[in-house]
Amino acid sequence: MTTKQKVIKINKSVKFLLLFTLLFGINNLLSAEGGPCKDYGDCDKFKYSLNDMESLQSGASTFLNYCYGCHSLQYSRWGRIAKDLQIPEDIFFENLVFDKSIKAGDLMTGAMPKDESAQWFGVAPPDLTLVSRVRGDDWLYSYLRTYYEDSSKQYGVNNLVYPGTAMPNVLAALQGNQKLICKNIPIIAKNGGEKRDSEGNALTKEKCGFLQVEEGTGSLNKEDFDKVIYDLTNFLVYVGEPSKASRERIGWYVIFYFLIFTALSALLYREYHKDYH
Amino acid sequence: MNGVVGKMFGWFNNRLPVANTFERHLSKHPVPSKVNFWYLFGALAAVVLIIQIISGIWLIMPYSNTEEQAFSSIEYIMRDVDYGWVIRYIHTTGASMFFAVVYLHMFRGLLYGSYQKPKELVWVFGCAIYLAMMAEGFLGYVLPYGQMSYWGAQVIISLFGAIPYIGESLEIWVRGDYYISGITVSRFFALHVVALPLVLIALVFLHLIALHEVGAGNPEGVDIEKYLDEDGVPLDSVPFFPYKVLNALVGIGVFMTVFAIIMFFFPEGGGYFIEMANFEEANPLVTPEHIAPVWYYSPYYAMLRAVPDKLGGLIIMGSAVAILFVVPWLDNSKAASIRYKGVYSKVALALFGISFLTLGYLGTVGVTEVRKTMSIICTFIYFAFFILMPIYTKFEKTKKVPERL
Repeated sequence: MTTKQKVIKINKSVKFLLLFTLLFGINNLLSAEGGPCKDYGDCDKFKYSLNDMESLQSGASTFLNYCYGCHSLQYSRWGRIAKDLQIPEDIFFENLVFDKSIKAGDLMTGAMPKDESAQWFGVAPPDLTLVSRVRGDDWLYSYLRTYYEDSSKQYGVNNLVYPGTAMPNVLAALQGNQKLICKNIPIIAKNGGEKRDSEGNALTKEKCGFLQVEEGTGSLNKEDFDKVIYDLTNFLVYVGEPSKASRERIGWYVIFYFLIFTALSALLYREYHKDYH
Repeated sequence: MNGVVGKMFGWFNNRLPVANTFERHLSKHPVPSKVNFWYLFGALAAVVLIIQIISGIWLIMPYSNTEEQAFSSIEYIMRDVDYGWVIRYIHTTGASMFFAVVYLHMFRGLLYGSYQKPKELVWVFGCAIYLAMMAEGFLGYVLPYGQMSYWGAQVIISLFGAIPYIGESLEIWVRGDYYISGITVSRFFALHVVALPLVLIALVFLHLIALHEVGAGNPEGVDIEKYLDEDGVPLDSVPFFPYKVLNALVGIGVFMTVFAIIMFFFPEGGGYFIEMANFEEANPLVTPEHIAPVWYYSPYYAMLRAVPDKLGGLIIMGSAVAILFVVPWLDNSKAASIRYKGVYSKVALALFGISFLTLGYLGTVGVTEVRKTMSIICTFIYFAFFILMPIYTKFEKTKKVPERL
């Protein structure tokens, strides 16, 4: 490479960098919208693990026991779930399917009549087959854990992620009574350290909107409850796209194939290229 | 060639121009010997077109084009059809990749003046392909009948209503109903799987025939026809087959790797390739919080929203595509390639590129005052690039184009 070519090369990358910075800057300048998790701020991050059968099975069990009474999974079939989650069909049907007339190939159309439930709740409980894809995993994981007591609401609860939600906190017996509380938190100075008064005591200010579970009101502690919600969300991610795990597995083979394909065609091209250079 | 195969080949060749066509368009078709990666996107577009047609045919089999079943038949494909999800993701990823490579292919055209005499018709057919693709993409997007299908179609079809006098009747005629319904879905299905693919294939054929008539360009903007060998073959050329085919094969390999990464690991493209709201069945009673088109239309959507008046917005949007067709007659430059054009052209193209990308971003997000002002500025730059082209290409100082590649 001659010096001139080098200069041109550098020039090009500088241009690209400039363009990139500019676009990134514009993006920052313009993005001033509230997050999808509303009053909760940033959603909690959720990383699915679709190969963790124990988690998926526990999620399925939570769903069928607590959610399926109102919510259908109308695009999903009973037998498919048993098969994908590696639950033997007899055990599955005996313990998780409460209507004995159901067959493995049936769709999970729900247990509650839609028009009546609309009257009961004001809105029919939505089908949840694709909820993880409509709302996103992070949203779902946050939503199910951010119910708090609010006596102004019909069911005595409200939700930080979905203010005014029509769903009661079905899992309250597990979680306990969660309340919004205020806390004294340290004031952070501009240099990043905590602000202190002249005697060295930390300065604090009151901030509200923190979630706290009343001790002893739920059957699970926070860690165990979070795990239940993790498994439930994991299951809903699975139901949203049952082939997701095999998609990500097969993907590696396909990418590997095309890399070999590219390498071989590059070698062949180089050989033919010699003809005219 | 001897023996049975040779005889059979001879029999066919006497009745069908097999050898002739192969030589004319492949083994003896001269293409410039020195091009860069920008010249791969045409071949890649052809690859994606084939992918879309084949995956499309397989999608038609289990898809149901009725109001009741359109949405659930997609879920049926995703769940119950063996490897249905592969076919569907190929098609959805393919749609985005089609636009991605075509945008790069078009930018290549602007970069190296691939529309200049005698390649005007190649460019014009190309623009027609782009227009047909936009229609094809829009029609296809309605078929899964999700919330964004419904409301996107609602927004776009209501644009027809802005046309004076005939608008309202036209709107109903296009929809086939007073609102988007199963009737709209089934007619869009017919257009998406039969009418527009035929148009697209015909246009691609014309695009290629015109290209082979005038010859492919190169990044230097050199006319390779000037220096020929004793057989009349350009000195700076190589036969298309096998040299350029092998070159393209490497590009296809890289492209398919990227395609597979997206398809198998990010099929929703972060909500840009398949929008999250489209996982919810169409509901005429609930408007989504934020209606945004898929990324490949978003620059035009930003332009539409930049104009307060609906008819005005429609005219701006239409002109933005229409103006592409006349580019060959706007460029007065003596040089084809940006390498030998003057500084005005370089600045203009850079500004154009930045404003198009910015518009693309603005079209996907909600409107604020700042964003609206930016959309107006970028729309202005977009049009200025074309409208001022006859002036800045005429008065700028170009460098001397070399004789040989």
